[in-house]
Amino acid sequence: MFIGIDVGGTYTDAVLTDGKTIIGKKKFLTRHEDLLSSLLGALDAILEGGDISAIRRVVLSTTLVTNIIAEKKYPPVALILIPGPGLNPSEYKFDTLTHIVSGGIDYRGREIIPVSHGQIGQAGADIKEKGFDRVAVVGKFSCRNKCHELLVKEMLEKGNPGLAVEMGHTVSGQLNFPRRIATTMLTAATRALFAAFAGSVLESLKERKITAPAFILKADGGTLPLEEARKMPVETIFSGPAASTMGAMCLSPKGQTSVVVDIGGTTTDLALILSGEPLLASKGARVEGFFTHVRSFAAKSIPLGGDSSVVVRDGQINILPERKGPAYCMGGQGATPTDALKFLNRVDVGDSSRAVEIMELLAGETGKTPAETAGEIVSKACQTVVSAIEQMFISWEEEPAYRVWEIVQQKKIKPNNIVGVGGAAKGLVPDVAKQMGCTSIVPEHADVANALGAAVAQPTVTVNLRVDTEQGNYTVAEDGSTGSISKGRRFGEEDALKLAKDRLYQIAENLKIKEYVKKIEVVHSEVFNMVRGWSTTGKLYDVSLQTPRDILFYLGQGDSPDE
Amino acid sequence: MNKSDKTGLVFFPAFDWAISPTHPEREERLLYTRDQIFEEGLMDLPRITEYKPRLATFKDIARTHFCVPQVKDQITEAHLVAAGGALVIADALMAGEIRNGFALVRPPGHHAMKVVHGNRGFCNINNEAIMTDYLRRKYGLKKIAIVDTDVHHGDGSQDIFYHDRDVLFISFHQDGRTLYPGSGFTNEAGGPTAFGRTLNIPLPPGTTDEGMHYVLEKHILPVLDDFKPDLVINSAGQDNHYTDPLANMKITAQGYASLNAKLKPDIAVLEGGYAIETALPYVNTGIILAMAGMDYSGVTEPDYTPGMFTLGPEKKARIEEIVAELSTVWERRDSTDIEVLRAKQDFFQRQKNIYYDTDGINECQTERLRLCPDCGGYLSTASQAYHHNGVQYNVLCLSIPFDGCHECREEVYAEYEMAVSNKFYDYVYFQDRVGDTYRGYGREKPLEWEEV
Repeated sequence: MFIGIDVGGTYTDAVLTDGKTIIGKKKFLTRHEDLLSSLLGALDAILEGGDISAIRRVVLSTTLVTNIIAEKKYPPVALILIPGPGLNPSEYKFDTLTHIVSGGIDYRGREIIPVSHGQIGQAGADIKEKGFDRVAVVGKFSCRNKCHELLVKEMLEKGNPGLAVEMGHTVSGQLNFPRRIATTMLTAATRALFAAFAGSVLESLKERKITAPAFILKADGGTLPLEEARKMPVETIFSGPAASTMGAMCLSPKGQTSVVVDIGGTTTDLALILSGEPLLASKGARVEGFFTHVRSFAAKSIPLGGDSSVVVRDGQINILPERKGPAYCMGGQGATPTDALKFLNRVDVGDSSRAVEIMELLAGETGKTPAETAGEIVSKACQTVVSAIEQMFISWEEEPAYRVWEIVQQKKIKPNNIVGVGGAAKGLVPDVAKQMGCTSIVPEHADVANALGAAVAQPTVTVNLRVDTEQGNYTVAEDGSTGSISKGRRFGEEDALKLAKDRLYQIAENLKIKEYVKKIEVVHSEVFNMVRGWSTTGKLYDVSLQTPRDILFYLGQGDSPDE
Repeated sequence: MNKSDKTGLVFFPAFDWAISPTHPEREERLLYTRDQIFEEGLMDLPRITEYKPRLATFKDIARTHFCVPQVKDQITEAHLVAAGGALVIADALMAGEIRNGFALVRPPGHHAMKVVHGNRGFCNINNEAIMTDYLRRKYGLKKIAIVDTDVHHGDGSQDIFYHDRDVLFISFHQDGRTLYPGSGFTNEAGGPTAFGRTLNIPLPPGTTDEGMHYVLEKHILPVLDDFKPDLVINSAGQDNHYTDPLANMKITAQGYASLNAKLKPDIAVLEGGYAIETALPYVNTGIILAMAGMDYSGVTEPDYTPGMFTLGPEKKARIEEIVAELSTVWERRDSTDIEVLRAKQDFFQRQKNIYYDTDGINECQTERLRLCPDCGGYLSTASQAYHHNGVQYNVLCLSIPFDGCHECREEVYAEYEMAVSNKFYDYVYFQDRVGDTYRGYGREKPLEWEEV
């Protein structure tokens, strides 16, 4: 048995599955002020009468960290930055106590300016004096050489016992210093709060005698053991959209290209499953105005929902990008797309007589019949969704590329399916699919797609290795680990691949998910000859590996995309 | 030019393209620049918008060049992407999406001349020239200024616009007596119909930021003020840098960045620069920040200390002399009695020998420009190329200017028909920039085609 629970902004869903079918599902309103009790309530409800010893895995998805950041309910974090030459650090807008320490590392990880010991001491004293007990230390190119960050941490901890120090290279090894600062700062800010939550969840599972391992869903659709996730709380933001995409993936035909349309009350979220794989954004997620390094799905949110406000201006119907309250047929004050759908008998919820009432009222302003008016509202809403989908494909095609073949081999992608989840999906998605010439899929269990997405998600491991044979060293972006290799020509491409695989297994072992590593895909492998004065002095290898982003099972229409 | 506050950036490092594995123009060239601008997070800055390059069409190339035998034979896909990257920036600028833009692309192009038999100075096709002609054709721009800030003389761009009075081409570079391609002297100042529209500033080896900025402030900026171009393009080579392995100048990242802050080019296009570790990451970051109107004062090379380079009095005096000489050329630009020449309806003729260093080709050209009273006059270029492997080409290239008059078009058409029928040339080309059609004829097959 597998359990998936999604604690979302509005609803908390739970799903129990045996790995082939859905055995039980529950849906509750989320108690915003107490996410833990929302989670446990859903857990207890889904477990009721079941065999606890048969549970093999529990996977959670929660908005906890997203909420903490959005509501700024985190303790203050001071910054110590080591920017070296380049952009003026005053361009970074982090709105917190920031100390700039001199020191510099270059693009190949060579120290170009030694770090200033005196400035570290002063910064530490000032941070302590101003009452901060958390600090993020981040250096430019620290992903290529962590020595400055390590030194600063060591000195700070020695001089200021009790100060919690988070280092940039352990949070992300990707290039982009400002994003690394933001991600490290948010990690420092949410680590303790998230760890306490994770601790309570683990404790509660123990109380219920659940011995199965607990996992948490990440923004990229992979999962992490809850225990290990305590070190990387920021990875769990935006797990909601990831959960709905994974759920939709489970409910649609395997291997096909589908657009996932999640129509909520206020917004519609779009995601893309490309030949069976959810599409990841090329850059990290944007969290409350901060650009981060968090890998997430390439999702797009549009301000159109079942509860969007509908008004008539100069006889023309307008759907406003805002929610003023629930649909009229659900006891609200004004017209919404849900009312139009109810009038046309395309949704189950709501009071039909109120839907008729509000459509008749609008019809008085449009000069058309109530049925025509309702039809026009639905068609406008569909048009908005269709344009947003088309725009998403265009912006995806316009993503930068840095190699000749990527530009030359561009081809237009056409989706097979439009998969609808969320309240108003049943009423709108068939029309959207028709306009786009796609198959419409509004699956049976769409109401608990998020919890299902959590239940079927699997751990994933990635490794991004960079080897510099001229200097005889390597760095791993994921965990900031470094090491040395034999210099010179003996180190070839196969050695780089083998090293990357070894590091991947090591990362998996550290995260206690080694058993899930069965297949490893080479995402990208590239070598640059380093030539100095017309002779080759070394090679730079960039190798990127991952375990396939697979799900536990598919409930979609058959397994074969050709059917 | 427009109200946008954004700087557009096309970054195309062509990580899978090289002239040869150890050639300076190889995959690795922009690798460290990529690392630096990505680590700085420049693409996330609210004032910077990144664009994806596209493939330029053969027609875009044929509007500027005569490629022998055909466009497809002279280019690789990487060339199409590099030229296309410049066109993407041009379109974004004209659409008002950006205030200025930088096409950080390779392979480079400023040594590619009007007639292309092969690669010279690492260049096959001229990205800036293709973009200039595209802007004139698509958006009807009249006057464009190109300032070439590469250490090597931009002889390709000079050749393409030598008889074009609407394009001002200014190049400063290390003195041609000491560096490839060995040209770019003050007396190369444009053809009779475009005198003064080509200005060459040969600088003594060892010229510093101070010397370059003297040239910029005392000569280039005043000339641009007089010329009043619709658009200024920086042909942005970076090999005047003090660490460049192929040249001998003493310019710093700060010097290059402040040059762009003062010149305020609408579009910059990357040219040469082969100090891939010690210069390019810093110079490119500096140029991007300067174009975006941001503080670039912190962008310095690790080994740089202020006051590291000084300009000796002799070099300073030499630079002052050159600037004074060129100011005279510029003042005299309209004094040549071109109307008298035009009234005679005569032809201006000159001979040129061109050497292709990369591909080992010798070319002899005879250029005939019609001194037309009604337009820029058509240009007829007969070219013989001798390849190192014994292959020879004998071609005729006929070009109508953008403002070409009816009579010139009729005459060129007649000349083209005659050349096709008498089978004297291996290939005959007809570049009709009024009709925007670009034709070629090959004797051997025989075959006539149009570049699209």
